[in-house]
Amino acid sequence: MKRNQAVRILLEIVMILLSLLFILPLILTVLNSFKSFQEVMTDVIALPHKLSFANYSYVWNFINYPRLFLNNTIITVVGLAGIILVSSIAAYKLGRTKTRYSAVIYLLCIMPMLIPFQSIMLTVLQLAKDMKLSESTWGLGLLYWGFGAPLAVFIYHGFIKGIPREIDESAKIDGASGFRLFFSVIFPLLKSVTTTIIIIDVMWIWNDFLLPLLMVNGSPATKTLTLAAYTFVGQYTSDWQYAMTAMVMAVLPSIIVFILLQKYIVKGVVAGAVKG
Amino acid sequence: MRRLGRKWVEKLEFGLFTFPVLICVFIAFYIPFALTIRYSFTKWNGISKHPKFIGLDNFKQIFLHDANFSSSAWFTIKYAVLYIVLVNVLAILLALVLDMKLRSTTWLRAAFFIPYILSLVIVGFIWKFIFMQGFESLGSSTGLGIFHLSWLGEPGLAFISILGVSIWQSIGFYMVIYIAGLQAVPDDMKEAAVMDGAGPFRRFFSITLPLLAPSITISVFMALTNSIKVFDVILSLTGGGPGGTTYSVAYDIYRDTFQNNLYGYGTAKALILFVAVLLVTIVQLTIFKRREVEA
Repeated sequence: MKRNQAVRILLEIVMILLSLLFILPLILTVLNSFKSFQEVMTDVIALPHKLSFANYSYVWNFINYPRLFLNNTIITVVGLAGIILVSSIAAYKLGRTKTRYSAVIYLLCIMPMLIPFQSIMLTVLQLAKDMKLSESTWGLGLLYWGFGAPLAVFIYHGFIKGIPREIDESAKIDGASGFRLFFSVIFPLLKSVTTTIIIIDVMWIWNDFLLPLLMVNGSPATKTLTLAAYTFVGQYTSDWQYAMTAMVMAVLPSIIVFILLQKYIVKGVVAGAVKG
Repeated sequence: MRRLGRKWVEKLEFGLFTFPVLICVFIAFYIPFALTIRYSFTKWNGISKHPKFIGLDNFKQIFLHDANFSSSAWFTIKYAVLYIVLVNVLAILLALVLDMKLRSTTWLRAAFFIPYILSLVIVGFIWKFIFMQGFESLGSSTGLGIFHLSWLGEPGLAFISILGVSIWQSIGFYMVIYIAGLQAVPDDMKEAAVMDGAGPFRRFFSITLPLLAPSITISVFMALTNSIKVFDVILSLTGGGPGGTTYSVAYDIYRDTFQNNLYGYGTAKALILFVAVLLVTIVQLTIFKRREVEA
């Protein structure tokens, strides 16, 4: 047993060292965001000489941080609300109807999971331009409805099959039907899957890069956090202190949310993968 | 009459509930996909009003004369195979250790998972900074040769860097899937095996691994679909360099369409990517289906 104990302690030490490999790059990023240009150039690992927020106020104003944050929020909220609404009502009806049409529509909904985004990115952009959805945060949010629907319909559909039909029947006897039946009776029962979908989709839309790059990169008024960080680094390839500041500002919201909701996020990601 | 009326109401309701999602997927996928097929037979710069129909010329050019395409395809295949194997093997190892309930398990799980919540483009930049500036400082303070290598400047090393950074970013995701899988393995099964005198390796290969099969199926599938489309991390880490050796297929399509304005040509490549993904997915699903039925 003693030998076993020693092995455990050794393993624990090895794992903690290994975990530093995952944390240190982030700490290094934060450290260098507080340094001056000279300090970054002379020694990356050293601590900054003094705690100065000069880089932060510069980048904050330069990229108009509040605006970007608002853009990210609009895109994510609009996208998410639509995905959940549109997918849950469709999955409910498709799960409850046993006709050939229903099967075909279900297939049409989930098949796009096989289409890689890069195969259609060019024509999506074309279509979005024709529909006047491009260069607008709202337009981009609307487009996510379609991109998020296949997975959401798939997950909802699987879950709805497990809800007994008797619930619908008794609600109908009570006089509820159509949308009212769905929103007052069924939708509350979907809470756990809805949480899963929210977690997966928020992480995806908030961090997404290629679609926003094509859709809203044209003007500072519509950019997202990731896009701004990307353009910023492109312009200031040698000013690493500013680049690191922009990185920290772009990822800080995600990290704070992760620390607060860690348990739910990990659970949601696992549930999404297992059901997907 | 009333029955007929009710039927109509039901039909109308079915339409109202399913129509919105159909519009959304048609706008996001089917219409663009149909247009992709159409443009792949044309020569078009994306600006002129009338794309010129040229039949299969784009495809002939791609398969017979396009060195960029073949090198990016080769890059993507190498990357995908190595990524799928490494990320899954390493994630299983991590999950096994974390399943032993060490004192620091909670911290370890959070630490390994954190990179996964960051955008890949930003992860690429952070590592670019570390490779370019951080390694210089580390090299001069530790004197280790490994820090003096040109991790982004040499084709072979740049490939390893991209692979390593991708694994660094996503391993936490695969790890939590495997931890969930391991927790589903009943404890009494493991105990019974210990009683029967099975050593740790024997236990792993004849009990744990077969019971992990569903998690492996999911993880390999996810790793495959993600690696075949690799783009963001390369864009920010190497930008395709050095000397254009680290272009993936997705990045090659992006270069042709948005940087070289070869819209028709780019969509033809995009269509090939779609067919490749489709074939690989079908093959993989049938293999795993058969395996799981046998097990």
